[in-house]
Amino acid sequence: MSTSPHSFPKVPRGEDVLGELLHSLSQPLTSLRCSLELSIEELAEQQQESVSAALQQTEKVIGMIQLMREYLDAEQPGPEASPVALAPVLRSVIEELSSIAAVRGIQLRMMGTCAATLPAPEPRLRLALQYLIATMIEAQAVGDKVMLLLGEGPAGAVLRVEGERGLRELDFQNREPSATSPQAKRDPSGATSASVSTLRRVRLAIASRVLENAGASLVFGDGGVNPTGFVLRIPRRVGTPAR
Amino acid sequence: MRILIVEDDAALSSFIRKGLEAEHHAVDVANEGNQGRAMAMEFDYDLVVLDLSLPGLDGLSVLKSLRQRKANLPVMILTARSRIEDRVQCLDSGADDYLVKPFSYLELSARARALLRRSHLPSESVLTVRDLCLDRVERKVERAGRHIELTTKEFALLEYLMRNAGRRLTRAMIIEHVWNLTFDSTTNVVDVYINYLRRKVDDGFTPSLIHTVRGVGYQMSPDGASA
Repeated sequence: MSTSPHSFPKVPRGEDVLGELLHSLSQPLTSLRCSLELSIEELAEQQQESVSAALQQTEKVIGMIQLMREYLDAEQPGPEASPVALAPVLRSVIEELSSIAAVRGIQLRMMGTCAATLPAPEPRLRLALQYLIATMIEAQAVGDKVMLLLGEGPAGAVLRVEGERGLRELDFQNREPSATSPQAKRDPSGATSASVSTLRRVRLAIASRVLENAGASLVFGDGGVNPTGFVLRIPRRVGTPAR
Repeated sequence: MRILIVEDDAALSSFIRKGLEAEHHAVDVANEGNQGRAMAMEFDYDLVVLDLSLPGLDGLSVLKSLRQRKANLPVMILTARSRIEDRVQCLDSGADDYLVKPFSYLELSARARALLRRSHLPSESVLTVRDLCLDRVERKVERAGRHIELTTKEFALLEYLMRNAGRRLTRAMIIEHVWNLTFDSTTNVVDVYINYLRRKVDDGFTPSLIHTVRGVGYQMSPDGASA
């Protein structure tokens, strides 16, 4: 039986190959994680410390894999999504993050509203907003405020996020934090400055892709009396009903 | 309780089996889809832990066929697929829960308990650990008869700890379940809130109920001792 040249498999796309690799990595990592978790209890105290350290490192790798998956998902168009109203999701994200902001001594406030919707799966939209606002919170120092200003004009809806410090305060280049920067304190998770800044960049990239795939535009900004963390614009054609 | 694990990765199924047996469950393992379906149909299990990618018959087909004959049997899906549409497809096909690899054994154990509890007992409106009582309906907390004032987040954290009393909970599990976040925003929010709770729930009372589990996270211990 002859084989048609069309029956040969296509050369897989880069994102498919990466997706398959991540899929394959998840199996041994699950075994590794479960085995470390289950063995901690059975060990003497001295050995527990090294197994705990191994478990923490494993969890960091898993966290990075999770981010890579999110990035790949954000790059894909995703399932046909019903329009999701921005304002309620934003309010809920602020509620989730307000206790984290409070622990860092930062006030998180939202003003205004809008009727805009975005055609994105709600969990993805929520994640994108969580990443953006959490990054803005990270840029602030104790006692600072983060303001989220939501409104709409003829061209569509706008979300402007302002803080007393802009995103420029954060390290995005794997530099060691300066002694005066809000990030000077060691990350409580034990992550190094380099890994924190890498994760931060990837999270912002994920947020940006999710929102742009939904037809919105995201601009990161800085400077001014109230430095702007980012501005999200949702054109009326995407989902703001005309008044 | 009797639990069936349908998972083709021998190392993983062995770890899950070991963990669940240590929690006093009777555990059977099938490493292939047809075998898993046959065992689930023939025996009375309280829970099936089912991998999606199986040799022979895939997990989704096993699930669909189980749902035709055993509509009330709790099924937890294990999968490496994390996309929303995969999750929706599984839940629409009758899965009761969905856990994405690489998961934590502690997370699997907590979810298994929740499914077993849901299928055997009515939902409790009052949670009790020794002399600590949390009323989910009235939103009230008392210890040794003394009222304790908690913020919304403290209440949610205490409820999660009490629901899982006697079990180790990682910081990642706590932040996901109580804060609805899947990432650690370089913050020690869990540790800070645990301290708030300790001041309100444990200070001035004996024994202390909230314990740190080194290298893992926290645990509410009904017997007052840490794991």
